[in-house]
Amino acid sequence: MTEMRLQSVSGYLPLLRFDAKVARSELRWSGLGGSGRGHRAVAGWDEDPLTMAVEAARGADLSVPPESVVFASTSAPFSDRSQAGVMAEALRLPTSVLTQDVANTRRGAVTALIRALKGGASELIASGEKRTARPGTAQHVGWGDGAGAALVGSGDGVAKMLGHASITADLLDIYTSVERATPYPSEDRFVRDAAVGEVYTPAIRAALDAAGIAAGDVAAAVVPEPVGGTYRAAAKACGLDAPNLCEEVAAKAGDLGTAMPFFCLGLALDRSKIGDRLLVAGFGNGADVLVLEVTGRGDGTASAALARGAILTSYSRFLNLTGMLPLEYGPRAEVNQKVSASTLLRHGRDMHGFVGGRDQGGNVQFPKTPVPVRPDATGPEDYEDVPMTEIAAKVASITADRLNFTPDPPFYFGLVQFENGARVMMEHCDCEGRTPEVGEPLRMQFRIKALDRQRHFRSYFWKAAPIARPDLPEEGK
Amino acid sequence: MASGIKDKAVIVGMGCTQFGERWDTSSDMLMVEAFTEALEDSGLEKSQIEAAWFGSALDDVNVGNSAIPLATALRLQGLPVTRVENMCATGTEALRGAVYAVASGAVDVAVAVGVEKLKDTGFGGLPIRTKGSVNDLWMPYGSAPGTFAQLAGAYQAKHGLKAEDVKRGMAHVSWKSHQNGALSPKAHLRKPVDMETILNAPMISDPLGLFDCCGVSDGAACAIVVSPEFAKSLGKDDLVAVKALQISTSHGWEAQYGEWDGSYVKGTRIAAQKAYAEAGVRDPREEISVTEVHDCFSITEMVTMEDLGLSDEGRAAFDCLDGRYDRDGAIPSQVDGGLKCFGHPVGASGLRMAYEVYSQLLGRAGQRQLRDVNFGLTHNLGGQPANSVSSVSVFGRL
Repeated sequence: MTEMRLQSVSGYLPLLRFDAKVARSELRWSGLGGSGRGHRAVAGWDEDPLTMAVEAARGADLSVPPESVVFASTSAPFSDRSQAGVMAEALRLPTSVLTQDVANTRRGAVTALIRALKGGASELIASGEKRTARPGTAQHVGWGDGAGAALVGSGDGVAKMLGHASITADLLDIYTSVERATPYPSEDRFVRDAAVGEVYTPAIRAALDAAGIAAGDVAAAVVPEPVGGTYRAAAKACGLDAPNLCEEVAAKAGDLGTAMPFFCLGLALDRSKIGDRLLVAGFGNGADVLVLEVTGRGDGTASAALARGAILTSYSRFLNLTGMLPLEYGPRAEVNQKVSASTLLRHGRDMHGFVGGRDQGGNVQFPKTPVPVRPDATGPEDYEDVPMTEIAAKVASITADRLNFTPDPPFYFGLVQFENGARVMMEHCDCEGRTPEVGEPLRMQFRIKALDRQRHFRSYFWKAAPIARPDLPEEGK
Repeated sequence: MASGIKDKAVIVGMGCTQFGERWDTSSDMLMVEAFTEALEDSGLEKSQIEAAWFGSALDDVNVGNSAIPLATALRLQGLPVTRVENMCATGTEALRGAVYAVASGAVDVAVAVGVEKLKDTGFGGLPIRTKGSVNDLWMPYGSAPGTFAQLAGAYQAKHGLKAEDVKRGMAHVSWKSHQNGALSPKAHLRKPVDMETILNAPMISDPLGLFDCCGVSDGAACAIVVSPEFAKSLGKDDLVAVKALQISTSHGWEAQYGEWDGSYVKGTRIAAQKAYAEAGVRDPREEISVTEVHDCFSITEMVTMEDLGLSDEGRAAFDCLDGRYDRDGAIPSQVDGGLKCFGHPVGASGLRMAYEVYSQLLGRAGQRQLRDVNFGLTHNLGGQPANSVSSVSVFGRL
């Protein structure tokens, strides 16, 4: 069988980073303010695990489409609508691609990765997480929103698997359920001791044995921690002295759940040299652990995501963005956002994939219409599909609208001019208080278009964002 | 060979309700009010009306769809009544239907009524509407000020202007309309407002502040249109004729094709040139005595002055600040207060504009009366700059 390797690993974080000091200050009266240390990534109102997973997956080279696509999350917005299917459309993969949604455990992405590396087919695995937790809990300030994606294929790639091992244990560090959407945690000291003794130590030892390497050969670890100190104790037990990148990411962006291993692996690849051995784990009611050998460089997306963003210091906005402070926006928010299933089936592929068309005269437009907009067009024409998501674009006109309802005002929208000649009226995102100027470059982002609060449905489209994110201040400055 | 609409229809009666927050008045009553005034003004009997056009834009907060609500409100027994809707240009569309019917010779007497009951929405601003099941999948739900605010940035960038100059020019537009609205008994907003208040108002949609936005009102307006021959047979000799009535509708070029710079309304430019040709206006700056333009937002009025050819490109802000369009300026605009202060009940606005021009031409405008009114122009704009329905009409004596 052809050896399957990791071809690329990409990471994505939303723009905002919430400063835990703010929660500590705001909740001081309650005694539930937490440590006040670190930051967590906070998704925009129009981001969810699927949109972020798509953003991470865009880092992969999909010019040769993978044979299968996996979407992994414990906070997937739909329980009976294939998000892997929508992701395949957003990435403009063939309709014949095998799709699978993985849920119900934080280690699902790593499990899928091991299966893919052991299988013979190319596969894209993307994980996204936007988990809900109540204010006052460690999870509310400690969990972050984000995504990671891994592409497995038969080329030389960036890493190959040397060995793996798994342990299953019904360890309830936390759980969520249909009846309880927010996590119910167990005592930290119990969780740490059980995670070290019952899960990580035996799993890591077995993985190292399977890989045929010594603990001291590991250059970097990606070991998600259910509670702080877990890795240090497990590393001591196993003889590891490699740094754990999950600790750094947890401090800067929060625990990304299912997405944590891929995001941190992306970061590890950015910082590794060829030949390095990496230990990567997925944790949740047991653990999957694999040992990788680095064969290529990372794509830099995780490093860039970790270094750039904007600090969020408003606790009430943080509550609002995390679904914990539903504001009453009044009658203007009552707009009917119902999506027609037949319309979605008819047009969804072009919408999710942002596919425009080149008409017979060479002009590109979105959306495709029976008669092209080209002034000398006289009747219906056939189009050549033109994906718009990677085309350079700039602001033609824009405003920050404070009248129109949006969950996170103001509502930025305007005409976007694409380099290939197409022009589209679009919503903007990630402007963060600054209205982009006419002529400013833009990049496309896959986002929630509309939330239908009456029927609990969401539709997806692309939005325009300023092309560059600001650098985050370095820790301590 | 087609010869246009000039002098083929005259207006013999007009009515316009008090615009504003008509909490105690239904759409039916607004239609009756406007129609009753117009009918009395015309001296005709209701039984002489042969056809009617009904303009209402927002059926979900008004009277529902179809023309039946007008036929029912006025009890127009057995007449052909047609509802038209073309967003904020709806009132002009209703008038166009009546004018074309008379000009074609199909009927001698036609009536156009426009009405909107916006204050029954329960909130300020216009309702947010679906754009259709396909467009809703991708098109932004921008508010009306949001779509027009984009004119400002694009206009400023195109002409290399300072933001402060554009902002002050826009503020003067609103200042002037508040001055005029104070003299209009039927206007919604009748209080003058100073420049500093306008400039420092809360932002609605960058860079449009509260006073850059027109009022949202209840109201109705009505016109009774007859053939010149029919009017003369009644012994009427002081007649206001339709000299031109042109509409230009976007076909996607602005929003999809990439040549438009976002700083003007193409449809207005097309409609204006056609209207001037139809009316025989060679130099609008000299021949147009008064304009009622679609000042839904101050920036709209400002760029419209360029689109109509009344200001040079890039100069409208300075012309506004110089008072060119004030009531005592070279080409007075929004003499009744405009959409900004008279109010904007969407389906009625095009007819309300015609009502003011009609009043000015007949010397009935009271405190607002201008001297030597030759041609009056109305400009009624539906949609948004990137996707518009633009109308330009010219009225004058027969």
